[in-house]
Amino acid sequence: MKFEVYLDSPTGKSKHVVELEKNSSTYNVSLDGQPVDADVILATPNAVSVILGGAAFEFHVAPAPGGYTLQTGSYEFHAELRDPRGWRGRRQGGLEAEGRQEIIAPMPGKVIRLLVKAGDQVESGQGLIVVEAMKMQNEIRSPKKGRIERLQAKEGQLVNAGDILAWVE
Amino acid sequence: MFRKILIANRGEIAVRILRACREMGIPAVCIFSEVDRASLHVRLADEAYFIGPAPSRESYLRIDKLIDVARRSGCDAVHPGYGFLAENPALPRACADAGITFIGPSAEAMETMGSKTAGKQLARRCEVPTVPGTDDPIENPDEVQSLAGAMGYPVVLKAVAGGGGKGMRVVPNDEAFASSWREASSEALNAFGDSRVFLEKYLVAPRHVEIQILADSHGRVVSLGERECSVQRRHQKVIEEAPSTIMTPELRRKMGEAAVRLARAGGYVNAGTVEFLVDSNLNFYFLEVNTRLQVEHPVTEQVTGLDLVKLQIAIAAGHRLPFAWETITPRGHAMEVRLYAEDPDNNFFPCPGKILARRIATGPGIRLDEGVYSGWTVPIEYDPLLSKLIAWGNSREEAISRLRRALDEYTISGIRTNISLFRRILSEPEFLSGEIHTKWLDELLTRPRPPAVHPRPGIETAAAIAAAYWESMPSGNSAKAQSPAEPSSRWKLDGRRAQLDQQP
Repeated sequence: MKFEVYLDSPTGKSKHVVELEKNSSTYNVSLDGQPVDADVILATPNAVSVILGGAAFEFHVAPAPGGYTLQTGSYEFHAELRDPRGWRGRRQGGLEAEGRQEIIAPMPGKVIRLLVKAGDQVESGQGLIVVEAMKMQNEIRSPKKGRIERLQAKEGQLVNAGDILAWVE
Repeated sequence: MFRKILIANRGEIAVRILRACREMGIPAVCIFSEVDRASLHVRLADEAYFIGPAPSRESYLRIDKLIDVARRSGCDAVHPGYGFLAENPALPRACADAGITFIGPSAEAMETMGSKTAGKQLARRCEVPTVPGTDDPIENPDEVQSLAGAMGYPVVLKAVAGGGGKGMRVVPNDEAFASSWREASSEALNAFGDSRVFLEKYLVAPRHVEIQILADSHGRVVSLGERECSVQRRHQKVIEEAPSTIMTPELRRKMGEAAVRLARAGGYVNAGTVEFLVDSNLNFYFLEVNTRLQVEHPVTEQVTGLDLVKLQIAIAAGHRLPFAWETITPRGHAMEVRLYAEDPDNNFFPCPGKILARRIATGPGIRLDEGVYSGWTVPIEYDPLLSKLIAWGNSREEAISRLRRALDEYTISGIRTNISLFRRILSEPEFLSGEIHTKWLDELLTRPRPPAVHPRPGIETAAAIAAAYWESMPSGNSAKAQSPAEPSSRWKLDGRRAQLDQQP
């Protein structure tokens, strides 16, 4: 299985592609296309233990808005995951939002591409707008199946976290 | 000894008192409000009684209900803990009327020593130094200026009706006096309709050092040494330690004697704390008396080897303190951090909620006093203190490294805590060398943060792998199916916070 992992920690944001391939009782792990020597197990129902080339780490995982919190000691990561094969964003866990939805910029950045026009019919999980932040391009997806009621974002526009980019009805 | 003790409190301190009762073989009765049915103190209690709705003034602050529970359950003593009714003289009075022993000082001693003004007058009478100044307003600026000169600059002018920093001016020198006087009195007039001001010596970067005392009902009063509590955020203690890094045997003796003198003069019985400010020349000034057990009492317990709660109970039962205690000197070093359910990245906003999982810190020199468990929901109605983590070591350095190690072991998920604040404080060079004062932490928090670095190489890769692994697991996994607590309305939370009695 292949995942796009978006991490946020006190040092900043980063994105990694992790591939896990079951190999009898363990996994073959690759990170950003390179195989890594990693041994990963579930130590307790909430804790994942990772031994990475001999270095041992343990993360306590808890659900958090949009993804998970991974705590290790007093250090913390926020993780959001996407399955690059599927349209459907995993963030909603397959559930579709209802009613008129505001599409909000999740972080400060620059709108670099509009993937839809006002009035377009969209599917749930379909990419709407691409925002670039920290040199990473983030596709903002539709939380529901519906119609683009209004598109406020313009290509090249700088946005702040929380700015409304569009409405989906 | 007592037949049965009523614990008139909740949370970690109720658990602490309950443990002392257990060790003494005394059954303990706990009380709970609507939201505390599943709290740890209730789960551990020998007996537990419901006393009303969540707001504390309808439950934990209702003396009539407490006395009723004590009577019904056959308690012959009440321990108030700290906070809630612990410093309200009405509780010892109601206990006396009901023929129940109050584990603490008399109502009269609480009144003469507990209030700031009465305490200060008592301190003057028994020659305990107080911050020099004029208690009464002075009308004539020339007179004040000559007093200020005699006292030595800097001084501070404070509005008689003042508060919140309004009508207050620090005067650095004689030249600035006239203009400061005009500003302070006109600001006081505008803000409070009263232009009168009084004068006090201004202490530059003072430390908060307090003396723990114990007094029995046979006239014996002893000092158990000091606790240094200078690391404070907006006047709330954040880290406490013993001994203080500035302490000398001579100063400890002088401060201990002053505290004992004050307790004797006030007819004090049971455990109490005399708080002082100490300036950079090691002059100490009386601040106030806390007529109860302190939150930070474990620090003293770790360096003296004494159990203060059991001693409180023994004193209330009329036992004598042993004479050998004249010469208590601290052994090693102890340091306590207060873990709160609050978000240090969001102005320390309280973040109660459900604790999804927890790993506690143990091992050499570590003590954890707490009232929480995995699966419990921290109620929003009360002070969000979760746990007190206390480290003991042979030296201050060892205590700090044990505390750091324990903070890395201690993991709590589902709610936000202030653990990262301690990570920062415990790596600050000024803290490590003991150069702290009561405004130090507030100043530190306004400084730009040092750029963050990952604590270990490889951690980001490991986190990405752990996250992907977690995501790949079937969602039937019980821990994964848990959802975070519903975020409460911020307005509601803030309203409750405003009404909360912050723990002392």
